[in-house]
Amino acid sequence: MKKRLIFASVLAGLILTFGLGGNAMAAGESLGKCSVDDYVEKYGELGLTPENIAQEENINAIGEIFDSCIEAPSPIIPEINEVIWGGGAFVVLLALMLWKGFPAVQKIMNERSEKIATDLDEADKAKSEAQAVKSQYEAELADAKSAAAAVIEEARQQAEVLRSDLQQRAEAEIAEMKEQAAADIDTARERAMGDLQSEVSEIVVGAAERVVEANLDAEAQARLIENYINQVGSN
Amino acid sequence: MKILALEFPPVSHLFEWPDFAFEGTPLAMNKTVLVYLFAFALTLGLFLLAGSKKGLVPRGISHVAEGGINFVEDSIVAQTMGPDGKKYVPFLTTMFFFIFFSNIFEVIPFIQFPANARMAVPIAMALMVWVIYNFLGVKNQGFFGYIKNSLFPPGVPKALYIIVTPIEFFSVFIIRPLSLAIRLWANMVAGHLLLVTFAVLSATLWDSTYVGAVAPAAMLILMTGFEILVSFLQAFIFTILTAVYMGGAIHPEH
Repeated sequence: MKKRLIFASVLAGLILTFGLGGNAMAAGESLGKCSVDDYVEKYGELGLTPENIAQEENINAIGEIFDSCIEAPSPIIPEINEVIWGGGAFVVLLALMLWKGFPAVQKIMNERSEKIATDLDEADKAKSEAQAVKSQYEAELADAKSAAAAVIEEARQQAEVLRSDLQQRAEAEIAEMKEQAAADIDTARERAMGDLQSEVSEIVVGAAERVVEANLDAEAQARLIENYINQVGSN
Repeated sequence: MKILALEFPPVSHLFEWPDFAFEGTPLAMNKTVLVYLFAFALTLGLFLLAGSKKGLVPRGISHVAEGGINFVEDSIVAQTMGPDGKKYVPFLTTMFFFIFFSNIFEVIPFIQFPANARMAVPIAMALMVWVIYNFLGVKNQGFFGYIKNSLFPPGVPKALYIIVTPIEFFSVFIIRPLSLAIRLWANMVAGHLLLVTFAVLSATLWDSTYVGAVAPAAMLILMTGFEILVSFLQAFIFTILTAVYMGGAIHPEH
């Protein structure tokens, strides 16, 4: 409603200016028309007749009429009607502006400033809160990191212990296996030697029997075998 | 009047408009009066419209009103009167817009007349400013203090007061309102004459030669732009000088 009223006021002002101002907008009359108009107007006052018009005093009077059209009123002297309207318009405008116009805009500006100030305060507050939360998160993150590092370190140490333990056990097992293997080898070698010895003795005896084709007594056989084996072993 | 064979209207006919209402009375209305009334309606309408628009971000017409207030506050009052001048911002803002709108009709089509090319409002406002700054001077410094500070500026060798005091008297109490009014009036008269000259020249040369009208028409366009600047500048100068005089009356030490 208020907006419509203001719009209507402005429209009325426009119509007033362009409508009523139509005549006023026309540029002023020409010098010739002014002179003739004034001459016609004052013709009767001067009592001019075709007979006396050529007299010097009448020529001067007519000349003054023409001069008055050329000589404009001093432009620096204000016209009273314009002072009343223009000065009055400014005074009334000032009163209306101080009463309504200015406070309305100033109020909006102040409200905006207050809102912006409040919003900025809130933003500051939110920012400091966010900062606090961030620091807390950072602290927690740092804690988590150090905890993780501790866990990793512990795991590493445990792994190290485990590794050395396993290594020791493996080494022990290897040593044991080596011992076992050596023992097994010895046993196998001894067994093989025993087997070899009996095999060889049989072969030797058989061979000897065939060579000498004679039976030797047990003692001579043994000695012979022993010598043979030693001989074989040294080879 | 024949100037260089051109039919140039008499100068008075460019500034004096026939009455169209209440002829012959002190309330006679003419084109000048209409421009003043229109400047009145525009200033008030601008602020009432801007005052009815709420929103975090100013838009459209609010920019003009709020920008105007900020401009007067920051570029005029803050520079000349300091924080004490804040309460005079409404007065100075109204003055600025009223003068500006009265001036800018110089380039508005179909009107094309700066109302301040008539002496009425410049002298009325200058006298109002004279009353206000003298009142503020007496109010803030006391009658004798104001007279003393105005006529005997501190820091001047005493012997020079023989010369300085009469100059200051004329300057502060007589010349100031006149110079304020004449500066605005004369600038608008000169601007209007310039535009009319180039317009008449363009029209005449167009009628006779066509091509000859190009240069004055270009100047007419250029001068129209220049007069927009002058309209703003003269409103600004009138307002800032008012603020300077008021500030000087409130703070004599500056």
